[in-house]
Amino acid sequence: MRTYLHAEWTKVRTLAGTGRLLLTIIVLTVAASATASALVSCTAEGCGHDPGRIGLFGVQVGQAVVAVLAVLAVTGEYGTGMIRLTLAAMPRRTGVLAAKAAVLTGLTLAAGGVAVPVSLLVSRRVLLGNGFPPDPLDPTGGPLLRAAVGSVLYLALVALLSLGVATAVRDSATAVGVVLGLLYLFPALILVVSDEDWQRFLWKVSPTNAGLAVQATTRLADLPLTPWAGLGVLAAWTAAALLGGGLLLRIRDA
Amino acid sequence: MRATIEVSGLRKRFGPTVALDGMSFTVRPGRVTGFVGPNGAGKSTTMRVILGLDAADEGHALIGGRPYRALRSPLRHVGALLDAGALQPGRTARDHLLWLARSQGLPAGRVDEVLERVGLESAARRRAGGFSLGMRQRLGIAAALLGDPPVLLLDEPVNGLDPEGIVWMRGLLRSLAGEGRAVLVSSHLMGELEGTADHLVVVGRGRVIADTGVADLIAAASRDRVTLRTAARAAAASALDRAGAAVAATGQDALVVSGLPPERVVAVLNADGVPFSEVAAYRVTLEQAYLDLTGDAVEYRGAAR
Repeated sequence: MRTYLHAEWTKVRTLAGTGRLLLTIIVLTVAASATASALVSCTAEGCGHDPGRIGLFGVQVGQAVVAVLAVLAVTGEYGTGMIRLTLAAMPRRTGVLAAKAAVLTGLTLAAGGVAVPVSLLVSRRVLLGNGFPPDPLDPTGGPLLRAAVGSVLYLALVALLSLGVATAVRDSATAVGVVLGLLYLFPALILVVSDEDWQRFLWKVSPTNAGLAVQATTRLADLPLTPWAGLGVLAAWTAAALLGGGLLLRIRDA
Repeated sequence: MRATIEVSGLRKRFGPTVALDGMSFTVRPGRVTGFVGPNGAGKSTTMRVILGLDAADEGHALIGGRPYRALRSPLRHVGALLDAGALQPGRTARDHLLWLARSQGLPAGRVDEVLERVGLESAARRRAGGFSLGMRQRLGIAAALLGDPPVLLLDEPVNGLDPEGIVWMRGLLRSLAGEGRAVLVSSHLMGELEGTADHLVVVGRGRVIADTGVADLIAAASRDRVTLRTAARAAAASALDRAGAAVAATGQDALVVSGLPPERVVAVLNADGVPFSEVAAYRVTLEQAYLDLTGDAVEYRGAAR
């Protein structure tokens, strides 16, 4: 396993695109969070806004780039045929997928570990300037810290979900399409559907809506699921995608 | 580990197409075995099955007695070149070999050694995406040699090489076999293997048509025929015909005689006073011997023939 990890890490490290994508994740996430924060303001009576969701809004944008990074880790090899060299050199296919997953998780945690705290810091300055009360913006306060840690984990889970889908479909365009569809279809559907029970149901099974519950810091009782249970929904999608992709990788001809 | 490839009874279908239909042969150490057959005969599929990339419906393929997927650090046992274009263009030649080396627990120094052996040391830090097909073939050979394996499996390695590259490749294949390795080289052009292969596995329609030494194959296809050069073609033909030989004209003053040994041909012609300038054993080219063998097995024949 150590040699598999070393090989996959070397692959990622020696492609110029990796660094650019990681930088894009950070820049987009921070920029979108800052923009969202600049667009809300509070009145003297109080604030209806959730500082966690606003300060970490960029995660919803950055996740698209995370998905691309993860998809390319697999389909970049299928597109060129290099996957045959990979599987000839490393015949334990589950091991190859596990090594790719580990390297990708590390990269995403690193990018998220920068993007999320920076987003919160920038957002805090902007919100304070907009007249936000300082208390809920305390980054060491329980809910906001949970939102931050949860958002980093959310991005890692999105990466692994994308890896599983890409392993199953083996084509860049299809894989990116399927993953972005999964991520952005449910929120759009919930807006369209008028029936409240259906809305709640869609929310509970949506990797994005349920997953991002981990960012909530106010009115937690109104959520259909608790923040961590919501992240669990995304984790279930991820597990299913990895399991399906891994199974197909094992049984299919390369 | 024994340096062998043993393929036995491989069968595989892709939908309605039978790709392998009982493919069986053994590749032995110390010689270059040519793996020849028309396009679609199952050469590449067989190689993918040997490397554990494709699963056969039936039969098995063993490297030194073990299935490929059971090998730890497989590139130390088998080096393979399947498709020279199969690399990510953004990576340098050296980095391409570096990740492969890491996957086998090989030191980075090994990368520089193989780059030098294939003559790519000056291009090591250039992106492989900008390489010519010939340079990619050399990089693919470098990857195959990385683990210093006793068994090599090369799919159409001469494809895309310039004349100088072809000479280099032939020398390399000979020297690899000379070092005691088992070398399997596929080609759809027999001429490419002339002077390189010691042994041939000729395939068609997913199975082995002939598994024979190159010298034996040429001798068998030549069938003890005799070429005769004479200005008196008609007289020679009738004299030899009366002596019980089959005669075919192959040129203005040339005949091919079968059914009589060279000494008898000379005796018959002398007895009848027919003049001739040359009598020699007839040798077909490797290409001709191969075409005789695969005549039935060519799947896609041009309509004009």
